[in-house]
Amino acid sequence: MKILIVEDEKELLESICTFLTNEQYMCERATDFATALEKISLYDYACIVLDINLPDGSGLEILKELKSGGKEDGVLIISARNALDDKVYALKSGADDYLTKPFHLPELAARVAAIIRRKSFDGNNLIRFDEVIVDLNEKCVKVNDTVIDLTRKEYELLLYFISNKNRVIAKNAIAVHLWGDDMDIGGYYDFIYTHIKNLRKKLLQAGAPDYIKSVYGVGYKFSIT
Amino acid sequence: MKLFTKYSRINVLATIAIFLFASAAYYYVLHYILINQIDEDLKIEENEIRGYVNEHHLLPENVSVQDQFIIYTLVQQPYTYRSFATTNMIDPKEKEREPFRQLTFGIAANHQWYRVVVSKSLEETENLTRSILLVTSFTILLILITSLIINRVVLKRIWKPFYHTLSSVQRFKVGNQYAVDFPATPIEEFDFMNQTLKRIIQQAQVDYLALKNFSENASHEIQTPLAVIRSKLDLLIQDESLTGQQSSTLQSAYDAVQKLSKLNQSLLLLAKIENKQYEAVQEVFLKRKVEQKISDFQELWQAQQITVTYHLDDAVVYMNEELADILLNNLFSNATRHNFSGGHIAIELKKNKLAISNTSRQPALPPDKLFQRFYKTASGREHNGLGLSIIKQIGEASGLAIAYRFQNNQHLFTISW
Repeated sequence: MKILIVEDEKELLESICTFLTNEQYMCERATDFATALEKISLYDYACIVLDINLPDGSGLEILKELKSGGKEDGVLIISARNALDDKVYALKSGADDYLTKPFHLPELAARVAAIIRRKSFDGNNLIRFDEVIVDLNEKCVKVNDTVIDLTRKEYELLLYFISNKNRVIAKNAIAVHLWGDDMDIGGYYDFIYTHIKNLRKKLLQAGAPDYIKSVYGVGYKFSIT
Repeated sequence: MKLFTKYSRINVLATIAIFLFASAAYYYVLHYILINQIDEDLKIEENEIRGYVNEHHLLPENVSVQDQFIIYTLVQQPYTYRSFATTNMIDPKEKEREPFRQLTFGIAANHQWYRVVVSKSLEETENLTRSILLVTSFTILLILITSLIINRVVLKRIWKPFYHTLSSVQRFKVGNQYAVDFPATPIEEFDFMNQTLKRIIQQAQVDYLALKNFSENASHEIQTPLAVIRSKLDLLIQDESLTGQQSSTLQSAYDAVQKLSKLNQSLLLLAKIENKQYEAVQEVFLKRKVEQKISDFQELWQAQQITVTYHLDDAVVYMNEELADILLNNLFSNATRHNFSGGHIAIELKKNKLAISNTSRQPALPPDKLFQRFYKTASGREHNGLGLSIIKQIGEASGLAIAYRFQNNQHLFTISW
């Protein structure tokens, strides 16, 4: 699947591409308005990651162009502006999601994955990872046909892990994903640890292998051994 | 003191002083001139008497004319004194004590010395003086009063543009769009003042806007480098050859970026509230919002063994909904963050107030510093110290009163509207 990243800050663009590129995704880069416009007119993308503030134009113009051309590409807006109005406006203009800088790359990957899932035509709302099947419609998780009962946070955590399989996710990224940037309390790590411990226990009890590995206290990796 | 009052006070005092001084001076001058006049009359009388004695060697026959008496007294020694005096004596005709002017001198006739006292009544003179004084004083008074009134009226008219400018400037507030209106005035000084004020105000507006935009733009500009740092860290931890030492270094970097990002968000929020970007108000049903927040925090409270009691009534407040969320979030976060394991939080929502109290190891907070930006308690080093100033700022922007009290060993924050 092809993903287009439109971002004028080259270092950030490189980070995003490096992080997203794997056996599933292929990334194309655009650092300015003109290149981005050209690319969207030539190709179809599964998802476009679009920065609003470009040196020679607004990302929102690209979005409008895309929508008026009747294109079905998924669009994730990334912006330094964290205002409700901007979000509402972007979503009304046809964007699928909105992410405020500075974001964690696993968060971006999870959002991109979610957009691609929603856009895929097969109507398949099941995500499969090894022996785990997540039914997005029913919000239920099965391991080898055994339904496991997860709390809302554990469910979100599992989905986040699957969207970032084989990658190391920082504890900070997990905290922001589960509680948002707003909740300002500190001592997140204990809660994360508790949730991960419970999730792992439930998966193991249902007969799944141990997917979750701690990486030197800095984060966790979800993978098949 | 008002300008008019100050001016009038000085003016009236000066006027009264001038009036008193002028009246007194006038009285004495007039009196002096009239007495001189009478003294001249008395000298003429003396000359007549001396002339008569020289010619006839006899004292003249004592003829009393209107208001004038001459008394001859026989004296033993030669009498050579000559003096003028003013005395009171009884008018033989009217039998009343009256002021008289007397000339006393000695004269020799028939080989005898006589003391002659010529007295002339001053009553007429006094009456004249009084009349003249009265008319004059009245005239002076009239002139002064008239000038005072004219001053007042004219001054008021002349200063009118000044007061107009004053009230315009009074209504002016930096940052609000109200245009300051200075009408043209023919008086050069006022015109100059208006021009100057206009220039200052415009400059203040421009500077204020620039400053406003600066803090907002600065915060936005910081977001992108922060995003770069975060993304590089996210990439770096993918490296499977990282050592434990390196990982812990990375964790510190993550935490610092997290803190910086939070700080930047808080500053941006404060700038946006100040820039009135949350002007859209609506009915906010607080009970629902508080219930939602309680369920959001439930998990954290359980993990920290914090017991929570609450009593919620229906309450509606007109404010920006986003700000209401942030306000509740900050209040709840504060009560949780500064609590201890096994502590307590009490939430009470009434029709027109919300009270949140929590236990804490911290002593009472100083109410004057509490809401200042970057205020930190000894144990709150981990935090950026903006949470309470955001609460305060939201309160000010939304017309909510925010109060802090320390009672029963609990920190109590009350929001009322």
